[in-house]
Amino acid sequence: MKAQSSKFKVQSSILRYALVFAALIVALVPVYWAITISLKTESDQFSVPPLWFSFKPTLTHYRDAFLERGFGNYFLTSLIVSLSSTALALTLGTFTAYALARFRLRYKLGSRLSMWILSTRMFPPIVTAVPLFLLMRDLRLLDTSLALIITYTAFNLPFVVWMMRGFFLELPKELEEAAMMDGDSRLGALFRIILPLVTPGLAATAVFCLIISWNELLFALILSQTDNAMTLPVGIAGRVTQYEIKWGVMSAAGVAAMLPILIFAMSVQRYLVRGLSLGAVKG
Amino acid sequence: MSMFLSNKQERFLPYLLIAPTVAVLFTLSIYPLFYAIKTSFQTGDDLHFSLGNFTRLFSDGFFFSALAHTFVFASLALTLEFLIGLSLALLLDSKLRGKNVFRALLLVPMMLPPVVVGVIWRLMFNSDFGAINGTLKSFGFDTTNLTWLASSKLAFLSIIVVDVWQWTPFVFLILLAGLQAIPNEPYEAALIDGSSPWQTFKNITLPLLKPAILIALLLRTMDLLRVFDSIFILTEGGPGNATETISLYIYRTAFRFGDFGYATAMSFVLLILTNIISAMYIRFLQKQEKA
Amino acid sequence: MSKFLSVLLILSLVFLSACNRGGSGEKVITIAVVSGVEGDALTQAAKDYEAQTGIKIKIAQFPYQSLFEKELIDLQSKTGAYDLVMMDDPWFPKFASLSNALTELTPLYQKKGLQGHDEDFVKTSLALCRHPYESGKLFALPYVGNSQLFFYRKDIFEKYNLKSPETWDDVLSAAKTISEKETMKGYVMRAASGNSAVADFMPIFWAYGAEMFDANGNPTINSGEGIAALKMMLELGKYSPSGYASFGADEVSNHLLQGTAAMSINWPAWISAFSDASKSKVIGKMEFTTMPGAKNQGKAEIGNWLIAIPQSAQNKDAAFDFLLWATDKQQMKLSATRGNPPTRTSLFKDEELLKKNPAYPVQLKSLETSRPRPRTPQWNEIENVFGIYLSKANSGELSAEDAMNKANEEVKKIVERGK
Repeated sequence: MKAQSSKFKVQSSILRYALVFAALIVALVPVYWAITISLKTESDQFSVPPLWFSFKPTLTHYRDAFLERGFGNYFLTSLIVSLSSTALALTLGTFTAYALARFRLRYKLGSRLSMWILSTRMFPPIVTAVPLFLLMRDLRLLDTSLALIITYTAFNLPFVVWMMRGFFLELPKELEEAAMMDGDSRLGALFRIILPLVTPGLAATAVFCLIISWNELLFALILSQTDNAMTLPVGIAGRVTQYEIKWGVMSAAGVAAMLPILIFAMSVQRYLVRGLSLGAVKG
Repeated sequence: MSMFLSNKQERFLPYLLIAPTVAVLFTLSIYPLFYAIKTSFQTGDDLHFSLGNFTRLFSDGFFFSALAHTFVFASLALTLEFLIGLSLALLLDSKLRGKNVFRALLLVPMMLPPVVVGVIWRLMFNSDFGAINGTLKSFGFDTTNLTWLASSKLAFLSIIVVDVWQWTPFVFLILLAGLQAIPNEPYEAALIDGSSPWQTFKNITLPLLKPAILIALLLRTMDLLRVFDSIFILTEGGPGNATETISLYIYRTAFRFGDFGYATAMSFVLLILTNIISAMYIRFLQKQEKA
Repeated sequence: MSKFLSVLLILSLVFLSACNRGGSGEKVITIAVVSGVEGDALTQAAKDYEAQTGIKIKIAQFPYQSLFEKELIDLQSKTGAYDLVMMDDPWFPKFASLSNALTELTPLYQKKGLQGHDEDFVKTSLALCRHPYESGKLFALPYVGNSQLFFYRKDIFEKYNLKSPETWDDVLSAAKTISEKETMKGYVMRAASGNSAVADFMPIFWAYGAEMFDANGNPTINSGEGIAALKMMLELGKYSPSGYASFGADEVSNHLLQGTAAMSINWPAWISAFSDASKSKVIGKMEFTTMPGAKNQGKAEIGNWLIAIPQSAQNKDAAFDFLLWATDKQQMKLSATRGNPPTRTSLFKDEELLKKNPAYPVQLKSLETSRPRPRTPQWNEIENVFGIYLSKANSGELSAEDAMNKANEEVKKIVERGK
């Protein structure tokens, strides 16, 4: 643990806890509020002062959203699209990251490619939105989950390459060399030795990709025309701008949209920090 | 080292492993750009070649407003996110009990889909029954003029609040990781030297934290410049065009007016701007890596 | 290794299932409808049709702005996503003028051995479906016959012996009196930028004798009459609930239903809500009448929902069958019981419907004497810009003169671009 000067130690403890609690309240109260709205009857929702705890919960909004208004369908689409694109990106990207980390390519291709791959993440999505729409139209892929999967794979790839390259660079080259001297092929060494060692990295990267795909709005909005390919964010966005906003249904859908991500992210939360710190800070 | 190039397979393997990724990225990120270039030079129903879309930029008040809104928004949000994020990181980089739980909970806002964040805050900001006005009313404040999403200035403030709420945890996370990566020795030395906390912070913590700060600022700046989702839900760029950032204006031009040519022309300006900014950051980063 | 492979296998199965979604061989008619009463009625009708004929109908429902976007994209890029599109009449000129976007209906009628549409449709509604307006070819059929009405609390008017609102000055003085003497506000309106502000402003604009364009198509928004009209709107704003500068139809109706405002322009679709005990606190107290005038006689703005068939539709004939069915007298009567004003004259006079909708005679009169918004393909952009400046004037950011002048400038640019 870090050494601290005496001045810090004394007042700081209580103050620290207080400040951290304050931050927690700010972070969590809005989420709590939305959850309560999803469980309140309509007249309770509109009451002033706001009912933080004393209301009778009801599940009508959830029933309404999922059974009547097709949110169940949106949830399924989101699930399929996110899982598929994450899997694809993870596969392609990890191999690429390995190659970039381990091999010295001619003409400094290695670092050039890394930078190029990273730069594709820098594009404001709106820039590729219009042409991508036109491309998908020409390929007759508009309004299909496949279009979204392909698009999200492209989004996630740079991130996967960047993160996994960092993880691979952490591992000493000797590991594969030892295995290969024992008669293993390079790919074999990759699968048997290296990959198991970077599993935390893979997990963290996978979670990030899932989050990015699950949460994405713009392309899902543009590439969908009927509920064949509407994801949860699109379903929610579509109702919010409406003339008569049904807040109960909206927040029920919102809760459904955030729960899977929260649960999943929390469970690999330890790795998240490592992932970010290894992948990002140490470059 | 000799292991690498001895095998013929070895020589081709890296290219094999890299090729699919490059192919996907090229098709979906680069090729569309060329298509976009072509479209930006087309105007009119017959799509004839013209520079019209670019010249129009100079006289388009809405375009400049959108750029201005984006930059002001980004600067304010970034500053707040950095200051609060740094403070939180410093707070949690210590012997605090339950630190891990705190950290996990503080991350909640950034995990949420921006759409959901938009819905949550639209609820919070609702002038009649939202948590904010509702609570103020119960304390006796007159909230008739606090129409958060309906008045231009308040709406702008609101979108900043929402972004800061959602993304400060991201900055916090990166900075915390950076702080934890700093070894103990410099601090112990400073203690022996009798440095004040502020001096320690200025002379030791900040410099060693620089790489993390740069990464955090870089990533956030890129995201702030292209912000779309939460504002789309919160205000749709309104009232009027008070909260319309450049991404929203491009979206509106392309998908509400069907003017793809002009939209792509604007996208290029945005792309060039973000490239310049990211190039500056990356150069800083590379200097750090070499140091 | 095997764990890795099995995970990969599962994921590829998920991926493959994704490829199969979104396409099926059987005939399905896809209809793009708007969220809200109008779209819900069409959705209901579609379900009935499915039950009757077995033909599957898929509904893609979107809120107002999104619906426009989706339809614009589909028609412009000819993606064939929709077989039928429901559109608000101001969108019609743009869609109809896109090359090869909408299907002309007369040939489809002839294919069925019919001469054309029947004469029961209200003339002003049908005129909207022709491109050019009134005289051109028929590209759509009118489904929801909305035209604005003026809503006011007759009980409050009686209480203060107020003259029934025939001119905008009457409205203003009544609004002032009511706001001063009661806790409720005298007036409420939509001034959220875009469609909301413009739709509620046009009747005042026209009543003052202002016009959007002159005979040569040049914008004349900032004429003296136009500015006077905006000033009246701002005056009325003083007696409206705060925050009205961003109200949409929902907020306006809520205020009326809750009894917190006494007068407004509104659409007939909301009339039924006023007698609904679960929504209304003012049952029996609301009166609906024709639009107040000023220099000119009051004219309501027409706002019909039309249904058309895109050229890129995959099932044109089946779509046309449905269209004919949904707009025939029997189906439209059913739709009327679901809250949508019809577009057939005979239905406005139908005894059964009259019992539940005593305002029909007023609605019919309003519909027959209504005016449409300018029939320019650039209306969408114009309304957008005009709406922004109207909203800014109402939120106090710009003076009436500045707002109208700037609006005129921007509209001029748009018109120039269209030439």
